[in-house]
Amino acid sequence: MLFNSLDFLIFLPVVFILYWFVFKKSLKIQNLLVIVASYVFYGWWDWRFLVLIFFSTVLDFFVGQQIFKNQDNKQKARYWLWVSVGFNLGLLGFFKYFNFFVDSFIESVNALGYNIKSVWTLRIILPVGISFYTFQTMSYSFDIYYKKLKPTKNFISFAAFVAFFPQLVAGPIERASNLLDQINTRRIFRYEQATSGLKLILWGFFKKLVIADSLAPIVDDIFTNYADYPASTLILGVSLFSFQVYGDFSGYTDIAIGTAKLFGVELMSNFKFPNFSRNIAEYWQRWHISLSTWFRHYLYIPMGGSRVSKLKSLRNIAVIFLVSGLWHGANWTFVFWGAIHALLYIPVFLMGRNRVYANNVIAEKTWFPSITEILQVLLTFFLVTFSRIFFRSPSLSSSFDFIKQIGNNFSYEPYMHPMGYRMFDFYLLVALFTVYEYLIRKDERNPFKFGSPLVRFLLYTLVILSILLFYDDGVNRSFIYFQF
Amino acid sequence: MRKFILKSVLYILLILLLLEVIVRVFHLYTEDPPRFIDKYGVEKRIPDHDGYAVTGNRNQNFSKFHINKAGFNSFREFNPSADKFEMALIGDSFIEGFHQDFSNSIGKQIENKVKDVEVYEYGYAGYDFANQMHLVYAYHKDFQLIDKIVLYLNYENDLGRAEYEPNKGRIKMLSSTVFKIRDNIKLLAYGSKIGIVEPLKKLAQGGIAFNETDKAYKTNELKDSEAEKLKIDKQRIANFKNLIELYGFDKSKTSLLLDSRKTSDRFLDFCRNNGIKYIDFAPKFENSKKPTTLIYDHHWNAYGRSLIAKELADYLKEQKK
Repeated sequence: MLFNSLDFLIFLPVVFILYWFVFKKSLKIQNLLVIVASYVFYGWWDWRFLVLIFFSTVLDFFVGQQIFKNQDNKQKARYWLWVSVGFNLGLLGFFKYFNFFVDSFIESVNALGYNIKSVWTLRIILPVGISFYTFQTMSYSFDIYYKKLKPTKNFISFAAFVAFFPQLVAGPIERASNLLDQINTRRIFRYEQATSGLKLILWGFFKKLVIADSLAPIVDDIFTNYADYPASTLILGVSLFSFQVYGDFSGYTDIAIGTAKLFGVELMSNFKFPNFSRNIAEYWQRWHISLSTWFRHYLYIPMGGSRVSKLKSLRNIAVIFLVSGLWHGANWTFVFWGAIHALLYIPVFLMGRNRVYANNVIAEKTWFPSITEILQVLLTFFLVTFSRIFFRSPSLSSSFDFIKQIGNNFSYEPYMHPMGYRMFDFYLLVALFTVYEYLIRKDERNPFKFGSPLVRFLLYTLVILSILLFYDDGVNRSFIYFQF
Repeated sequence: MRKFILKSVLYILLILLLLEVIVRVFHLYTEDPPRFIDKYGVEKRIPDHDGYAVTGNRNQNFSKFHINKAGFNSFREFNPSADKFEMALIGDSFIEGFHQDFSNSIGKQIENKVKDVEVYEYGYAGYDFANQMHLVYAYHKDFQLIDKIVLYLNYENDLGRAEYEPNKGRIKMLSSTVFKIRDNIKLLAYGSKIGIVEPLKKLAQGGIAFNETDKAYKTNELKDSEAEKLKIDKQRIANFKNLIELYGFDKSKTSLLLDSRKTSDRFLDFCRNNGIKYIDFAPKFENSKKPTTLIYDHHWNAYGRSLIAKELADYLKEQKK
């Protein structure tokens, strides 16, 4: 079920009413409702894949108990941890990477002069959200193994934690220590939490329907027909893609966090205005936070993190970025994208500037940023946007051709919208969106943080009006990150 | 909880109210002047209506219409007489021309190009060829005085029936309470126009919004086959023949306006073999370097309409020689 569908518009109030009015008195029944609602939400796409979620839930619930039981026997505990990791990565490997690895193997063999044809590739549909919920369940096993968490004895709570519908298909990838605790605790309806949830949902819809969906046809046109366009258009296309992917993914996250709030649950933040990052390290502290912290906690730190020799630290950085790239999709373009980020991150790390902006935002105590900050933000945006050529292109060769085309046809021509719309509207939209995000840059969980109720009311109206003004019936409304 | 629900409902109502005001002030909605069937059984608009037609959700195309005393969108009244030269241009929404100011319609542009001619635009959204033939027949006294008649024929859509029956169902539907509500709440009219309430409509039509997956499996292998095309052409030509026999067709002063790219060769051959004249605007559209249709729908834009006007003006000049 898509958040931006009529189905969800009906589904959400029905579940909300059942949750707070009908099943309010028993935590167990409330959690059971969460499971049923989440399975309906997920099964709306394809009910057959519910088996995977259920099986993953059962296995990790059991494995969690076993790891805890064998805490004194490190070897046995590790064995059970590997069962969890092996199963979840096995699922991912089969559904997401099987064909990729087979094809890559065959290409390498062919490159060595042996001519073999692929007979092993399978026609497999990628189950929606598999990369998200497998990582979430693995984190549960890891946390028990590292003694940060005690396993739950309540299977219903655990199943609700794994399948909690607001974040099931595209995150944030939650830790059991945050979400499972809340699911195990009796929720109380709080007015402030619910209204803040509604505001986040509204803001998320704005980012998805207005920013992402209205830029999508432009980006699609430019990336499809890049060979016909001059450099100015290609730069425009990839820059707008930066806004599109941000609007799409952070819009989804806002709706997810907002929806969870309606049910009395606080999910972790996933985006903190990454477009205002002053270096690449800050960017990764602000973009897809739940994934980058996952890799940090469960891969980077266990490998030694930065507490090992410089060379090993650099290796660790390279590994997490390459794996992060591969997590996004079974394509060398994503690995290359990860490699670019590793190369951009390493100099910042070597200069010791990877944590300098961890606890503050641009123009922390002033209205306007300094010239240095503006230049830093522009440089970071440029570098991140450049890497997105690989993220968006269907293959490595087309990514390089795209870049080559920028160099070969380095000229300017005004770009015409593929449907004939006035481009000025979209430039203005992106500019206003950036300015507004700058104004609210200190609190990603409160996009309408203005004292005056009248101003807030006018903003809500303006946001809904802009959805109407930019609504396009013909746009594919799915979320970009669903493919991951 | 009560506070949350009450406040949410209140906010939603206030926001909807403010949006209604904004949609009205900036005239984002489009108007559809009321329709009726007159005593001759002709479907038309209720006379003497002025308003604005809007296309696109950001007012991309905005034009004024004027329904004259005859019930059609036109800059002039229709008063045919023997001592003037008149041309009737009959057709569907393309001819009705809500996509351009009525003061600069195709008819007006023709009059600007050709001296001493009055152009009567009998355009009505939804007309097919049966409507057009019946109109000429029903108003035969007027049409006896009119010197030239041009019927706009959209071959793929307009020859679906062999006899005219007024569409009472449509008039009834448009005057139903649901449609009255839609027309009076401008926010709803606007939402309906941009397609945002489409899922709701589908839901109301029987839960289709929840299950569209079977659509992909409904294919018809016969659809594009030569045998199927021949069958369709035969039916359309038979309908055409029946309509001109039933309502009369003065070949000396009547021509069809058509796009040969969307018209079958068999039908064009039939016209040529039977002395039915047609004006083909396809070459002008094909050679155009600018877009000829609107962004939001397939109707002619201002430029496309100017090409049609030029085509018809050239034709009239030729005829008047």
